[in-house]
Amino acid sequence: MDFDLKRLGFTLLGLLIVLNWGLLMSAIMRKMGARVARRYGIPWRQPWVDLVKNYAIRSQITHGVMFYLGPVFRFSGGVGIFLFMPMIIGSKLWLNYSFQGDLVLIMYFQFFGMLGMALGAGEGGHPHSAIGISRGLSQFTVIEVPLTLAILSLAIQYQTLSLVDIVEAQQGGFQNWSMWTNPFATAAGMLAILGIMGHSPFNLVKAPNEIPIGPPTEYHATFLGVLRTNAAVLHVVEAALFMNLFFGGATNWFEFIIKTFLIYFWSVFVGVVFPRFRIEQSVSWFLKVPLVLGIIAIILFM
Amino acid sequence: MVSPFYILIVGLGLGFLLGLAGKKQAAISNLLSLLAMAFFTAISAHWLLGFLSGNLQAETVFSAGFKPPYSISLFIGLHEAALSLLINMLGFFTVMYFRKALLNESRKLGPVILVLFMALNMLIFTRDLFNIFVFLEITTIAISGLVLMDDNHQAHAAGFKYLLASALISAFYLLGTVLVYNSTGSLWIDDLLATKNALNPMAVIAVFLIIIALILELKPFPANGWALDVYQAAHPGTGAIVSGAAGTTMLFVLYKLMPAAPFISDILVGVGLVTFVGSNLIALTQNHPNRLLGYSSIGQIGLIVSIIGLQPYLGEKTVFVGFAILLTHFFAKAGLFWLSGMVGKDKIQDWAALRRNPILLVLFGTFVFALIGFPPFPSFFGKWELILSLSANGQYYLLGAVLAGSFLEGIYLFRWLGYSIKLSFDDLHEIKLSWEKIIPVSLWGILLYAAGIYTSTLMNGLVGMDYLPLIFIALIFIIDGLPAYIKNTIAIAGMLFYSWLILPDLYTTDMLRFIFAGIFLIGGILTFIAGYAYKGARRGFYPVALLMYAGLAMLIQATTTLEFFFGWELMTAGSYFLIIRGKKSMPHALSYMLFSIGGAYAILAGFGLSFAETGSIALSSLSQISQMATIIFTLLVVGFMTKTASLGLHIWLPGAHAEAESDVSPMVSAILLKAGVFGIIILMIAMGHNPETANIAYILGWLGAITALVGNLAAAFQEDAKRLLAYSSISQLGYILFALAMMSHLGWLTAMVYSLNHFLYKAILFLTIGAVVMKVGTHSMYKMGGLIKNMPMAFIAVLIGIIALSGVPPLSGFAGKWLFYNAVLDKHWYFQGAIVFFSGIIAFLYLFKLIYSVFLGQLKDNLRHVTDISVWFAIPIYTLIIGIMIFSAKPEWVLQPLGTMIGQWYPDGALAWNGGMATSAYGYWHGTGVMVTIGIMFVTLLTWLLVLSRKAQKVKQFNIVFAAEAPQRPETTHVSYNIYAGYNKALGWIVAPKITEFWNMMTDWVHSLALYGRLIYNGNGQVYLLYVMAYFLTIYFLVF
Repeated sequence: MDFDLKRLGFTLLGLLIVLNWGLLMSAIMRKMGARVARRYGIPWRQPWVDLVKNYAIRSQITHGVMFYLGPVFRFSGGVGIFLFMPMIIGSKLWLNYSFQGDLVLIMYFQFFGMLGMALGAGEGGHPHSAIGISRGLSQFTVIEVPLTLAILSLAIQYQTLSLVDIVEAQQGGFQNWSMWTNPFATAAGMLAILGIMGHSPFNLVKAPNEIPIGPPTEYHATFLGVLRTNAAVLHVVEAALFMNLFFGGATNWFEFIIKTFLIYFWSVFVGVVFPRFRIEQSVSWFLKVPLVLGIIAIILFM
Repeated sequence: MVSPFYILIVGLGLGFLLGLAGKKQAAISNLLSLLAMAFFTAISAHWLLGFLSGNLQAETVFSAGFKPPYSISLFIGLHEAALSLLINMLGFFTVMYFRKALLNESRKLGPVILVLFMALNMLIFTRDLFNIFVFLEITTIAISGLVLMDDNHQAHAAGFKYLLASALISAFYLLGTVLVYNSTGSLWIDDLLATKNALNPMAVIAVFLIIIALILELKPFPANGWALDVYQAAHPGTGAIVSGAAGTTMLFVLYKLMPAAPFISDILVGVGLVTFVGSNLIALTQNHPNRLLGYSSIGQIGLIVSIIGLQPYLGEKTVFVGFAILLTHFFAKAGLFWLSGMVGKDKIQDWAALRRNPILLVLFGTFVFALIGFPPFPSFFGKWELILSLSANGQYYLLGAVLAGSFLEGIYLFRWLGYSIKLSFDDLHEIKLSWEKIIPVSLWGILLYAAGIYTSTLMNGLVGMDYLPLIFIALIFIIDGLPAYIKNTIAIAGMLFYSWLILPDLYTTDMLRFIFAGIFLIGGILTFIAGYAYKGARRGFYPVALLMYAGLAMLIQATTTLEFFFGWELMTAGSYFLIIRGKKSMPHALSYMLFSIGGAYAILAGFGLSFAETGSIALSSLSQISQMATIIFTLLVVGFMTKTASLGLHIWLPGAHAEAESDVSPMVSAILLKAGVFGIIILMIAMGHNPETANIAYILGWLGAITALVGNLAAAFQEDAKRLLAYSSISQLGYILFALAMMSHLGWLTAMVYSLNHFLYKAILFLTIGAVVMKVGTHSMYKMGGLIKNMPMAFIAVLIGIIALSGVPPLSGFAGKWLFYNAVLDKHWYFQGAIVFFSGIIAFLYLFKLIYSVFLGQLKDNLRHVTDISVWFAIPIYTLIIGIMIFSAKPEWVLQPLGTMIGQWYPDGALAWNGGMATSAYGYWHGTGVMVTIGIMFVTLLTWLLVLSRKAQKVKQFNIVFAAEAPQRPETTHVSYNIYAGYNKALGWIVAPKITEFWNMMTDWVHSLALYGRLIYNGNGQVYLLYVMAYFLTIYFLVF
């Protein structure tokens, strides 16, 4: 019991760190994007201000019970992945609840949030919500293909599905990272992360020009606040997953921040450069080069 | 012993006397005919009872006391007594059936019938060659008289053709007899049999002439055009006589004389099987009921001819097999002809009128199932012994021919049955029920069941069988007129009682069977509870539903392959009738039945070959197979895969499950598919150690993976809610097949967990969607929408169902996914595993579509007043949800016993358990911990959000931001139709209906063959005679 409270405390502290880092990271990305477009960009405090504003809005409407559950499922998804993901290796304190489930749990928990969000948005009754969700689901299902192949390849390589063990096997210098020992899996995974992060060319799901209204408009006030909170956490946590899988994990918070930033930056970088795909294009795209990379990754370690 | 000459005397005497009667004496002469036939029947019954009890001995009676060749000898033995009893009973009831015609006709049919049956009796008894000729002639003339009874052109033509052909046949026979007499100096058959090996060449040819005449009399294919015209044109009562009585008699005469010509047995087999297959093939496109029955009769008689010819292989089983099939044919054919007389129409589609008289419909179904060879009818046991004997003797081509012919017969008979049960008609004509017609048909039906039950007692493979379920079904059938809720209660009570009987024992002795019995029986009880929602009497539902469950129970308790097959066929029969109850189910039920019969025949062949190799029909003997392992395993697994709807054999499932009634869909989808899984598991346990099965298992793994992918992808593109769930079932069964094919500890654990899970969540989903469909009145999801407001109970159930199906933690589906990952890594089947994983992800597409289109989105105006689902559906649904919750919270309660059970077959690679933490070679998972963590987190976040937005206003339906417009109607605002168009564009080619096209092509090809073959029957009597001559010459040159 004693250890449990300690673990819970450190987990919540870790969540706070991740949340704030996520907000800061989004501010950095927005500023960088603005500078590229020769604008000044938002002030640094903007993400925090947005959150406070959203939570403070007084007038609010709801479409029904499921409408509440949408953001809650989504946020649970983000926090859930956080809970089951080891953050800092080498210290028992920052491993969160990763002892309860391995990689498979994390992979399937990604769907928890997505499913709930889909249901919640559907409750709003807005037709564009449904369009967005169907696009999101279509895309997400194919994104998982190269990712699964990459993870399978890693599991075969390290003979384990435990994320902690995979990270620990990558300790002891750059050369042990999966990036070098299993480049094809890394490549497949890094292509998959483009889809997960939801930036261009895979941002048809929430593309502002395509769907000017729908979930972003129907969800407002505290609902939107929860979704924005989740976005901050989720981006960091997803980047942390890839960090643990391919880039040797993190032994301290400084390393954690640098690596997650770089991984997230990769997706933003690609997003700034490339235009948007249609759904059938993105579905086909993931089943070409990323799929082949994943297959090669498995063959090499079979 | 009563002398057989009495039959001769009474028949001839009364025949002549009645011929003198006038119109005024019609009633008396009718009564006298009836009494005469009753007298014949009594004599035959007396003989048979005497033989069976041992009081009488077989006896030869000589006329006038002299010995042959100066007298005629008659022999009465057990066979003769039995056959004459059958024929005389038919005669008695024919007189009853023809009562109106006999009373009205001035053509004195009474004497004709009397003399005909006298002649048939004598043909059975006599052992004199010329005597046979005499009575053959009398039979011919009498039958022509009956055919010509009708006063139309067709009957006249048919009767004339019949006389022509019979004349030719009699000529052959007489020539043969004369030459035999010339060569051997005697007309006594016993003399002929004694000297059969010392015959000079002329005598051999003479015997051949006799035999060929008898063969031709039995209407072999293709020299039987004249016979088909007779069947078509004659009154069905005459058809019954020709098919039942005359056919039986001629078969027996052939059987009597066959020992004289040992060189003929191979030819008999060929003749018989060509007739069986050819006749049934050409019958496929036939629309006229009497002609169709004619084809079927000719086919069945051909089968029996081949059985007679197979005597060297069948040995002492020949009489059993031949008689079993003959008996079935006799009862079923006569019954069908009599029914045809009652319906009185020219097209088989008109038999939809039978729906007005449930008793007639039941009888029709009985006769059809009996002919195909379903239990409990004698033909089932006859075919079983036949297949086993053929396998044991290595006669694989003959085996294939028998099964092919049976399958073809199944096609047209089930099409016909489907028409009568389901074909929609604006005005069904009334069938008049008169006692003189209904009594014979009903009695024939009852006797068919009695014969079947009696035959089953003779089979030594059925000693352990439990008849209790079947008796229960018979009782339910009798009270079928009662309201549904009474029968429902009785049915549930019966199933509870049966569960209490067998489940506790199985728990301690056989965990595998316990699990499947639990799924079948407890699942059955739960789906029956939903049946309380139906009003009225629900006639015809309970007997067939219980029949299916009885079959499933028998499957579980089977210890021999015969019992297993018996249960399998019963289950198929019950499920067919359940499926065809749906409004649009007619073609789907036919498709289901044909695939089921095909699979059943594959299983039968597999069991036959297994018997051939091991010599035993115990189920455990399957593990001793080594030589023919590949072929036996393939046959059996293909048979089971027709039931699990694996790719290639799956096209029946979407239609059958989607169109079935609301409480039938969960029965067939959640419960029945597991029978195939059970079969595959039993098979793999028995034959898994054999090295040859590893190759087949590898193929099965790929097949399962691709089935999973195609099933889930196809489901995503459906607009019909139940079809979506049906395709989902195909996919889930593909998972299970893949997992079983891994043949490792983790693989089987995955498969068992998936089976259990699939049962739970598919039952929930089908029950809920079925209940919603009952309220809403449509299957199309785009016509529903927004129902969360009206049906919150249904929404929650579907939500839990889809979360469980998708495998998202913390619900029970995740257990399956976690195990699946570990199993794939353990077995190194990465690519198949990746395909299965991909298909699992695709499941999200249709799961979302299902819940969104039905419950979320916009509520349509016509559905504003629908109420929540019936409480009778909600009870089983929420019971199953509790089951899922328990499984999710404490997975070790399920996984640990399963692990122990599977450990007896695959001891390596088991999970290690530490409290609630499961550890495998690769990963770990703590089910309860995960659930607690997620639960606490979720509740915390939900509470936090609720507190934050406690002042939120609830708004009405169309209160959405719509870009400065107002949304018009729910129909235009609810996005549901073809929402995965992009996905379809990219990946739709995977689900192109190539396999459906393949099977359609096969169907068209067979039908074209049938149409092409029909061309030989051009109606010209002279051409038919030419065929007879050509046939004679062909057989002659084949023999010599």
